[in-house]
Amino acid sequence: MLKLAIRNLLHDRGRFLISASGIALAIVLILVMRGIFAGSEEHAVAYVRNQPAALWLMQSGVENMHMSTSILAPQTVELAAQVEGVDAVVGLLYAGGAVDLAGQPAYSYIFAVDADAPFGGPWELAEGRRALEFDEVIVDADLAARYGLGLGDTVRIFETDLRIAGLSRGTFGIATSITFVNKQQLAQWMGVPPEAASYILIRPEAGYLVGDLAERLKQAIPDANLLTQEEFIQSDKQMIRQMGADIIRAMNLVAYTVGMLVIGLTIYTATLERAREFAVLKAIGATSGRLLGVVFAQAFVSTLLGGLLGAALAWVLGQVIGGVLPEMLVLLEPDYLLAQIPVVLAVTGLAALIPTGRILRLDPMTVFRE
Amino acid sequence: MEALLELNLVTKVYGAGRTEVRAVDGVDLRVDPGEIVLIMGPSGSGKTTLLSMAGLLLSPTDGDVVLGGRRINGHSGSELAALRLRQIGFVFQAYNLLGALTARENVEVVMNMAGRKGTAARRRAEELLGTLGLAHRLDHKPADLSGGEKQRVAIARALANDAPLILADEPTGNLDSKTGREVMDLLCGKLRCEQGRGIVIVSHDHRLVEIADRVMWLEDGKLSQRDKAAPLNA
Ligand SMILES: Nc1ncnc2c1ncn2[C@@H]1O[C@H](COP(=O)(O)OP(=O)(O)OP(=O)(O)O)[C@@H](O)[C@H]1O
Ligand SMILES: [Mg+2]
Repeated sequence: MLKLAIRNLLHDRGRFLISASGIALAIVLILVMRGIFAGSEEHAVAYVRNQPAALWLMQSGVENMHMSTSILAPQTVELAAQVEGVDAVVGLLYAGGAVDLAGQPAYSYIFAVDADAPFGGPWELAEGRRALEFDEVIVDADLAARYGLGLGDTVRIFETDLRIAGLSRGTFGIATSITFVNKQQLAQWMGVPPEAASYILIRPEAGYLVGDLAERLKQAIPDANLLTQEEFIQSDKQMIRQMGADIIRAMNLVAYTVGMLVIGLTIYTATLERAREFAVLKAIGATSGRLLGVVFAQAFVSTLLGGLLGAALAWVLGQVIGGVLPEMLVLLEPDYLLAQIPVVLAVTGLAALIPTGRILRLDPMTVFRE
Repeated sequence: MEALLELNLVTKVYGAGRTEVRAVDGVDLRVDPGEIVLIMGPSGSGKTTLLSMAGLLLSPTDGDVVLGGRRINGHSGSELAALRLRQIGFVFQAYNLLGALTARENVEVVMNMAGRKGTAARRRAEELLGTLGLAHRLDHKPADLSGGEKQRVAIARALANDAPLILADEPTGNLDSKTGREVMDLLCGKLRCEQGRGIVIVSHDHRLVEIADRVMWLEDGKLSQRDKAAPLNA
């Protein structure tokens, strides 16, 4: 019966192609929308993700980076550095603000660490240097290029002219970008001493268990909050999901619903179109089980092909979008992809089953009509 | 001799109340092996309805269908399907071949469903199609066959599982008279004589009277015997 199903599909190549394309486009819609959503989320945690710091210390009560303000007392950095098992600590100042590029303000996450810090700056530099003087700045290379700016050009942050000393990569997002400035400068803007830190990035010595080190740090600095890198990332993502991303989430939901409906309708009509052939099979002696076998085989082969095509297309589209718009990260998460398989299969099965129910109950005399 | 098919006071009523249609009304019919029964009647007289009940595609409102000595009552859908598959061969006016399959595969598919597979089924399909003069059309799809050729494939399919009873509804309805005649000669002549099948044909086609052993007249759902020699519509 699988043979009959495949012969049916190959016989009606046009129809098969339309079904598979419809399903592929639905999958592209679902995956790309989700990919943009996931990409924007991922961008918001890009800084934390890309630092070699397994532990992050922050003001007590603070649990995320973008929706709270954290300030730790200046001596906390020293205190953390002395804990046994700590390899390196970096005091990070962080603020949100508008970066004015050629008269165009772009909202940005602004980070600052000491010029000689072992990490905490840009993780990939296209041009220039990491160590920043008082009036220098590192902006995203693609963002700068968009406004025709390069090394040595000027951008304005908090009413201050800064010279571009470096251009970073992976720091351009749809809503926000990431900018690095000198730590004295940012401290001055924020009105805090330059030794102060919003967060302290902690790299454990090789061979030390993160959990053990975390315990010692909590004892040494009890009045601060300590999170692992992954906890910090997840808590930030959680917050983003709850806050600003409502519109994207709604769009995502609409795309998902539309996509699944398209898949369902495609399979539904494709099955219904064959109602007569199924009725003939039934009349000449096929059991309902056998009939369902053919119907399902046809539906699932269409979905399988459409799904694979759609996933491949979504990936290609993600690459193309990323090439044209560097701030638009289309992140295709394997976990999400796998989670969709049972959903798509269920939609396919249901969409094939509904018209088949009708076929099975069909007036058998259809086969006698012309 | 056991009848291939017996209809005992079979009635079919469609709808209810003001839309009620008594399509078949207390029909008795017996078909013996080797017999060709032709049922004629005006349009809407209930011919297709009667044939559908004989073919276990429609259950009667009242009365009994007895197929090969077995009274049909309370059988499940898959039991009925199995009976249709092995006991009955259908020939339709609209051919109803599967468009994706070749002539040979259309014949093979019912054998496969009945458990006969591989080369055995293939050889049988080729042999049947050969007998029906289609040896040169084995690998053609229905779309590439003429009406007469399609109907001959349908006949091969109806005969493939050696069903003792063949039911044909307007088998020549879409064929010109010469082709129709050829097809019916094939169906009724050689194959019947050799194998003692019973055939019920429902048709408007007066020329089929010549090949029928018995002609019945259906009008307003009531069946009556006709003299083969009597003029039509008399
Ligand atoms: N599913 C149905 N529901 C209601 N009425 C029906 C149904 N099928 C057939 N009928 C009615 O039953 C009567 C007999 O129909 P049937 O199709 O059996 O006639 P027929 O003799 O085969 O006609 P034709 O020669 O035109 O094919 C007609 O009046 C028809 O309108
Ligand atoms: Mg009819």
